[in-house]
Amino acid sequence: MNRAVATGSIALTLASALTLTACGGSGGAGVAADAKQTLTVWAMGTEGEKLGDVAKEYEKSHSNIKVKITPIGWDVAHQKLVAAAAAGKLPDVMQMGGSYLGEFADMGVLEPVDTKTFREGDFFPAAWQQGSYDGKTYGVPWYVDTRVLFYRTDLATKAGIKKAPATMAELQSAAEAYQKKADTKWGLSIQPGGLDTVQSFYQFLYSAGGAVIDDNGKAVVNSDAAVKALENYGSYFDKGLSEKSVRPGYDVTKDFNSGAVPMFFGGPWITNLLDENYPDIKGKWAVAPVPADEASVSMAGGSSLAVSADSDHKAAAKELVSYLTGAKGQVDWFERTNDLPANTAAWKTGDLATDPTMQVWRKQMDTARATPSQPKLTEITSKVDTAIESVTQGKSSAKAALDKAQSEIEGLVQ
Amino acid sequence: MSLTTGPAVPQAAVDKSPDSGGKSGRTRRGRRSLSKHNLTGWLFSTPFLVLFGVFMLFPIVATLLMSFTDFGARNVTRPLEAEFVGLDNYTQLFQDDKFLKALFNTAYFVVVGVPATIVLGLLAAILLNNGIDRARTLFRVGFYAPVVTTIVAVAVVWRFVLDPSDGLIASLASEVGLTAPDFLGSETWAMPSLITMAVWRNLGTVMVLCIAGLQAIPADVREAARLDGAGAWQELRGITVPLLRPTLLYATVITTIGYLNVFEEPFVMTQGGPSDSTLTVSLDMYREGFNFFHMGYASAMAYVLFVVIMGITVLQLRLLKDNTR
Repeated sequence: MNRAVATGSIALTLASALTLTACGGSGGAGVAADAKQTLTVWAMGTEGEKLGDVAKEYEKSHSNIKVKITPIGWDVAHQKLVAAAAAGKLPDVMQMGGSYLGEFADMGVLEPVDTKTFREGDFFPAAWQQGSYDGKTYGVPWYVDTRVLFYRTDLATKAGIKKAPATMAELQSAAEAYQKKADTKWGLSIQPGGLDTVQSFYQFLYSAGGAVIDDNGKAVVNSDAAVKALENYGSYFDKGLSEKSVRPGYDVTKDFNSGAVPMFFGGPWITNLLDENYPDIKGKWAVAPVPADEASVSMAGGSSLAVSADSDHKAAAKELVSYLTGAKGQVDWFERTNDLPANTAAWKTGDLATDPTMQVWRKQMDTARATPSQPKLTEITSKVDTAIESVTQGKSSAKAALDKAQSEIEGLVQ
Repeated sequence: MSLTTGPAVPQAAVDKSPDSGGKSGRTRRGRRSLSKHNLTGWLFSTPFLVLFGVFMLFPIVATLLMSFTDFGARNVTRPLEAEFVGLDNYTQLFQDDKFLKALFNTAYFVVVGVPATIVLGLLAAILLNNGIDRARTLFRVGFYAPVVTTIVAVAVVWRFVLDPSDGLIASLASEVGLTAPDFLGSETWAMPSLITMAVWRNLGTVMVLCIAGLQAIPADVREAARLDGAGAWQELRGITVPLLRPTLLYATVITTIGYLNVFEEPFVMTQGGPSDSTLTVSLDMYREGFNFFHMGYASAMAYVLFVVIMGITVLQLRLLKDNTR
């Protein structure tokens, strides 16, 4: 090795050691926000597809930044993120599904959110809660999702139903009326079993005042309220108002269109789906808040944006996240995707402020409840899925099923 | 999945690198020239050995080690913090109702599915080899097409066939005034439905093997049998099956291994439901590993499945091979 090469390589080693230290050290943010750089972003499903257009707009006003979007399918998202986390190759910015956050925060791969820039009060409470884990915030709410009741108004007239069911008791009598008088095959579509059945059950559970895990992180799934909710849920299957058959990949909008199913709980994306695929029934359906039990409480879902803990571009990443979660960016995003803005300020303009359908979503979001972030959330909810299935299939009482789930979940919460 | 192909590969590795050095009684000169010869061999097999080491050997060994730890989600970034738990995962497995149910379901799949696949595959082969003269190629392709079609496309078609409200079978049944069962939604019918689908998907492989075997049977043997007055059944029992035995043995072994690993059918059609009635060992393993991140536990499952497959394969080879002698 000649001297020049030796000196050069020592210098290089030192320089890279310094850079590495700077990155790893607290407060070091790597590349400055206004430097020329490429930001890598991963997003799932529709969001991943549409984010590319936003990135192009963003690049126009931020000429030093190139945003590279990688869309990933929801079905492989979890595995890809875990693999990337293990390899230390997470993108600078990533979309985090509500159920993922606890797990990744626990792994220590997410950068805590700067709460001076991103303020809790700007977002729906449930959305903010989903980005928090163990008292710290790791994700900035990007869009929210909740469930409301979709019902057929034309068939309701036939069945003699004058207004949307406002209570759980009215929901069941409406289901009966649809089936008897309007000749629908079922009364209400709720999931009888299989993966994520719990999402169908949350509307009943939360409205009855129950929860899977309380705000202190304690398992409470066999509370009296939860048992009452599951009994109510199960009664739809006992009475033949809901279909018992478990069908993975079941598309409720098809049966909603044909009239076999007059009511179901659905998320915001269903509106688009119905308008695009079944224009014939436009004007023959409406949305209503979740019928109240103790109260009308729906589940809160959605995604946050998180920054990787070992990103070299944290400063620029933060700016991109501020743009996407700020009021202006959120309205733009709503217009492109119909994803509900997580930032409450975005709801003050345009369709979001005036459209009556949007108001149903808006109102439901105010009280919607998120499941607290837990590293083992997927496993925890799968225990509830099993409990629900054993009730809908008539194998167990609600109390026995939930007692079993409770004892299993107690060992999984942290 | 990777485990089953594992044992076959080292054999290939040995074949590709003629390692005949080190035998006693060789002269020094001989050894030296051999080692030169070896070097070339090693050189040529290095790319394979590296790939094999990285993608097969390392995961196999890592899985074994992991199966003695409580490796979970947080260990993905901190693998060395996984705790050694000895045989806990294994003892826990045999007290886990879900796993035992998965084992039972897998056995059900094999016990019903393997004979059905072999018999139907053989019949299809005989039919195509002798019976159908016209459009033989069309039928061969027809029977073989399911083998090469992706499971997702297959699932779409089968969901339509099995759908309880407006599916093919349900519609046909209602034409004649019957009600078809809810195939995928019923605990009794879900498994037979999946087995039917798997048989339909796999009989083409058996058929192709058997056609090749059938065409190797000399025509004069059959002719002699017919001259002696053997009927179709006697010919099948006395000539075809015995002469096809090596082919059938091979087909049985690979089909059994495939069905013990069955994953795709329940994954795309039922996700293991209803009420875990179609949960197989592979699917359970996938869930524990990739949904819940119980990597240690899932690894133990992989090894239990590996031992079961190995045991059954050895048993099959013994039982079926000895009969031929």
